[in-house]
Amino acid sequence: MTDYFIYTLISGVFVAVASGLIGSFLVLKKMTLMSDALSHVALPGIALGVIFKFEPIIGGLLFLFLSIILIWGIENKTKLATESITGVLFVTALAVGSILISETDLLEAFFGNVENISRIQLLIQTIIALGIIGIVAKNFKSLILVSIAPDLTYSEKISRKKLELLLLVLIALTISIGIGFVGVLLMSALSIIPAVTARNLSKNLKMYVWWSMIIATLSLLGGIIISHVTQSVNPGVATVLISAFFFLVSLFGMRK
Amino acid sequence: MEPKDKKSVLTVKDLSLTIDEKKILTDISFSIKPEEVLAVIGPNGSGKSMLLKTLVGIHTPTSGTITWAPKAKVGYLPQRFQVDHYLPMTIEEFLSLKKNPEYSLNEVFSLTKMEKSWRTKNLAHLSSGQLQKILLAWAVLDKPEILLFDEPMENVDIAGQESIYRLLHELQETLHVALILVSHDLNLVYRYADQVLCLNQKMLCYGPPHNALTEQKIKELFDTHTLFHHTH
Repeated sequence: MTDYFIYTLISGVFVAVASGLIGSFLVLKKMTLMSDALSHVALPGIALGVIFKFEPIIGGLLFLFLSIILIWGIENKTKLATESITGVLFVTALAVGSILISETDLLEAFFGNVENISRIQLLIQTIIALGIIGIVAKNFKSLILVSIAPDLTYSEKISRKKLELLLLVLIALTISIGIGFVGVLLMSALSIIPAVTARNLSKNLKMYVWWSMIIATLSLLGGIIISHVTQSVNPGVATVLISAFFFLVSLFGMRK
Repeated sequence: MEPKDKKSVLTVKDLSLTIDEKKILTDISFSIKPEEVLAVIGPNGSGKSMLLKTLVGIHTPTSGTITWAPKAKVGYLPQRFQVDHYLPMTIEEFLSLKKNPEYSLNEVFSLTKMEKSWRTKNLAHLSSGQLQKILLAWAVLDKPEILLFDEPMENVDIAGQESIYRLLHELQETLHVALILVSHDLNLVYRYADQVLCLNQKMLCYGPPHNALTEQKIKELFDTHTLFHHTH
């Protein structure tokens, strides 16, 4: 095992924990499709990174942030639902990104490519993952409350709008760190599938959040290792299949 | 009618709310003092729930002022508290989401007459009446000065409604909170309220129930005789 592979695994653990954690909020707030669509918005940014030779994660982040500001702004100014706005943004971004990027790079951006993640990107995504985990830990109760009962936030003197923006920012950060591993098309495998699986297995919130993080971690590490050993399976694809397998198993252990 | 000896918990002046050019509330004015019970009555669509929502800040008034006593803590019980039937969360976990609680969970369980065994009960397994009770526990956890109670949706059965109002009344007396309750049940108003506010977008009456609620006003408010059962 090379140093690089070990760094990849370590970074993978943090990225997966952050993704599983954010995924548990996405499922509670019923924003799963929205975050899935949002991940595609990163594509033009990644393309710019490839063209102008800077870290694609930076370009991806930039575009993700631009779009959440746009989504949040439009949502607060007009009556359009977040889902519809995201729908418009995502196909547009996908089209723009596809024009900008070459076919091989496009495939990589779609499905991720562990081998091509630079050491700097590993470091950046690990730091961002730690940041996500820290922010969630600090605002856990408020974020849960705004996810399950937004009307109750008002009398608590916490700002629903700010919390929802914070959640969007966290989603954007999570997408950006997962893209290197699983790509823009498969990002939901790292956040949504583990959370849905965890929900099948859990009778309380604590169990739910922990299971979500554990399943995300097992899926991503499994995906990276399988891909490394076989040298033929794409790690993003392997990760999706592993998490989908966990989901199937969870259907049998479902709690009422 | 406006003695200034006891400071009001809440004073509302000329409050109006317009949403999408539709007038929801027009020129509402009232005030409520500590430990007072104000009943807001009116037919469906009269703006009762919207009034509460505006008071807590879900909607921003188009004009007028809402003045809370400094540092007043407000407990709000929305009309509808829907829990995803698959939400993995126990009652205990839900109540511990409250910021700055003043009561322990044990205390709030006995205040709201919930059995201890409920602590680990799953929120998703509760009936809407039971959820209403949990909301009440949630609302009193930080010892609020005032509770805003919206009428539960129809899917709470009559027995459940009766018991929630009785509990609300008991809590109001033991905890000495002010209370604004929304209802269409006139019996309830006569039994519990110090003041009544009749609402049908505009304020049709305001004052102690026996003075404010003349038969004429009730007719005007509900546009029918049938809802008026008895006066005592």
